[in-house]
Amino acid sequence: MNRRYFLLGSLATLAACSRDPRPRLNVYNWSAYVAPDTISNFEAEFGVNVRYATYESNEEMLAKVVTGNSGWDIVFPTHNRLQPMREYDLVQPLHHEWLPNLQNLDARFGSPVWDKHLEWNVPYMWSGTGIAYNRSLQPAPTRWADLWDSRLKGRLTMCDDPEDMLGACLKKLHLSFSATDHGELLRAEKEALAQKPLVRAYLNAEARDQLVAGDVLAAQMWSTTTQQAIDVTPSLAFAYPEEGFPFYCDCAVILRESERTELAHKFLNYLLRPEVSAAVVEYTKTATANGAAVALLPEATRNSATLYPPPEIFERGEWPRTLPRDAQRLRDRIWTEIKSA
Amino acid sequence: MKLRFWFLLPSRIWMVALFAAPFAIVLAYSFLTRGTYGGVEKPWTIEAYQRLADPLYLTILLRSFLMALAATVLCLVFAFPAALFISRATRHKNLYLQLVMLPFWTSFLVRTYAWLFLLRDTGLINMTLQSLGIIHAPLQLLYNDGAVLLGLVYGYLPFMVLPIYATLERMDPSLIEAAADLGARPIATLFRVIVPLSRPGIVAGSVLVFIPCLGAYLTPDLLGGGRTVLVGNLVQNQFTNARDWPFGSAVSMLLMALVTLLVWGLLRRESEQLG
Amino acid sequence: MKRWLAVYAVAFFAFLHLPLLTLSVFSFNSSRFTTWEHFSLDWYRAIFRDPQLIEATWNSVIVALVSTAISTVIGTLCAYGLWKRGSKLLTGSLYLSLVTPEIVTGVSLLALFQWSFRSMHWHLGLYTVVLAHVAFSISYVVIVISARLRTVSPSLEEAAMDLGANEWEAFFYVMLPALGPGIIAAALLVLTVSFDDFVITSMVAGVDSETLPMVIYAMARRGASPVINAISALVTVFFGILILISQQVREA
Repeated sequence: MNRRYFLLGSLATLAACSRDPRPRLNVYNWSAYVAPDTISNFEAEFGVNVRYATYESNEEMLAKVVTGNSGWDIVFPTHNRLQPMREYDLVQPLHHEWLPNLQNLDARFGSPVWDKHLEWNVPYMWSGTGIAYNRSLQPAPTRWADLWDSRLKGRLTMCDDPEDMLGACLKKLHLSFSATDHGELLRAEKEALAQKPLVRAYLNAEARDQLVAGDVLAAQMWSTTTQQAIDVTPSLAFAYPEEGFPFYCDCAVILRESERTELAHKFLNYLLRPEVSAAVVEYTKTATANGAAVALLPEATRNSATLYPPPEIFERGEWPRTLPRDAQRLRDRIWTEIKSA
Repeated sequence: MKLRFWFLLPSRIWMVALFAAPFAIVLAYSFLTRGTYGGVEKPWTIEAYQRLADPLYLTILLRSFLMALAATVLCLVFAFPAALFISRATRHKNLYLQLVMLPFWTSFLVRTYAWLFLLRDTGLINMTLQSLGIIHAPLQLLYNDGAVLLGLVYGYLPFMVLPIYATLERMDPSLIEAAADLGARPIATLFRVIVPLSRPGIVAGSVLVFIPCLGAYLTPDLLGGGRTVLVGNLVQNQFTNARDWPFGSAVSMLLMALVTLLVWGLLRRESEQLG
Repeated sequence: MKRWLAVYAVAFFAFLHLPLLTLSVFSFNSSRFTTWEHFSLDWYRAIFRDPQLIEATWNSVIVALVSTAISTVIGTLCAYGLWKRGSKLLTGSLYLSLVTPEIVTGVSLLALFQWSFRSMHWHLGLYTVVLAHVAFSISYVVIVISARLRTVSPSLEEAAMDLGANEWEAFFYVMLPALGPGIIAAALLVLTVSFDDFVITSMVAGVDSETLPMVIYAMARRGASPVINAISALVTVFFGILILISQQVREA
């Protein structure tokens, strides 16, 4: 019996805890995307209570918000998920008069291809996918095609993600990252199958550790993950492949269901402050879309060609588009075929 | 019979609200059309089931069955002597049982990562072998079917130990004495008397191991390095990356139907033998 | 043969515990990566400085305790009711719920909650996580307790009723104590499964309901982090001590 009262008691306490008199804001973001004090500083300054939780994939977040009854106010979809979210009427338009700090955005993100006038999103953090490698590998890889070199057998990893992995094959063939054509995709599959005997494993962030330990010599990897590895192991380097490569940008949006529009804008405007954004970058080693924040970063971070590639390299990047249904399905079948080959 | 009615009421409510309703949803999903962005749309169709006939997916299913079968057999081989040891222990039986469960209080993911630590090129096993001079270049222990099998066996071993222990514990020791008195050697006693008598535990354990192994997806992803696809990965992928909920639902329906047939057949044979 | 068994048992327990032991050793490594630098307690300090981790642990404990309590009660009653007279429909559902792939359970429960909540303006939260855990835990309880019931002679109940107890009294005073070890075993199993669940939990979690496995998963997917090693070492040590204490109490 005592145990039962204890349980009831703890439930009651829990309920009491969540009844906080301060206004609330519910923010759902990717994991490891704020500094430890980003949220608490906002709470203290604005006298609000922020419920902050994290997700691991766009799909996980979308599964929750798609019915328009999730309870979240702000989420951070990747740029090519914005269009489907708008088609489902999940996001609300931004009020620019409440976002004076939008002017801090880097010029390249002031009018991005996925939302020309920033009517719906505030670009937050971005990264590219390229080649992370050990400097002992000579000559150093500079193109996707270099990852088909038989010397890499068993010492190479590729991303466990159909978009990135097939993308590398498509780029090797000088095709678009967002290719939808049946024939083009089948040619990419042939490339992937030819490469598979060399591939040690299809891994995402897990490859970082093995690159540091020296088990892996070259890996298809995100620039931000690579930067974390380079920071501890100077013998590693990163290349944005010559054939072209993808960029991804995670963007803050306010959900249609949110009834705290004004507070949500205050939060977005707060994230756009240069010092706030710079603190996040210092802690998480990501690339911010906030140009004014970049200027506040220590020189080593600011000049990292991995995080902030120079303009001539940036030019070669491609922002993947939302794919039509049939192309998605074909890509998935090809992906399953590659992996189970 | 009044008591039985009230006792079964909560579980009947569970059955309708938390089992039948979601099950019906998945069943309905499998007959709908995929939305561009996850979710499902009308019209109704059996297209998802037609796609199942693709040899690609049937191969994956077969491979998963073999993998789960191998894991179950290995679990049985490793777990049986351990269960025998615990049931024969004169002291600390409970302690031994708890020790079997202890590693399972940490996250499944952590347990799997622990094997990465041991198996990688610069991991404990390769380093030890190299410093002993047994090998000169690291062995590639990770990212193959063997590593996946190891991960599965490690992950579900207790599910086999506990039920076998439970039947061994109930076994009448006089039976074993009788066998010995009749001149049976220990090995013969083991295979002629102990193993057949612990059959219910073996069957229960095999079911508890085989089913989750069949649906496993994290182990093949992490220890197999994503180089093979098992049916668990296929389902998982349909609901995440591929955003094809109808197809994912159809694969799960097929999987559930096959497993149910198997378990049903096994249990029926079991009850016939008992009866 | 006995000696061989003992030797085997040592190897068996080493196989079970060695991987986690290695992880624990590396939780005292000052390097973020798996190359040994020198001894440090930084990762343990990091745990206690992280409010998200503390809150998630608290959430996990609440969810595990509440859902274990509910599902053990429902499951015990169900196993007993089925023992008196079977029900093909209910037994079938229990087995089927056990064989449903986790992601499918997660997605279907999410869809169910979303449908039923939309008109009521409720949101996903800690209670949906508890409900989901109860949903998948009941089967485990019924299977474990049914196995125990098979070893109990029906004459035990008959004897109680011959002595004047009614059906209810026979259950509470005779059968329930006889089922004790089975109930404890079932509760332990469910507690472990609930404490460890990630796939279903992450699908039905909403505002205010991050659990420890979700946080660990988030960290681990970004590459192995010594903080995770430290957490798992702490969890293992905590439960290890709990086991030793309960062992002492039992033997005393």
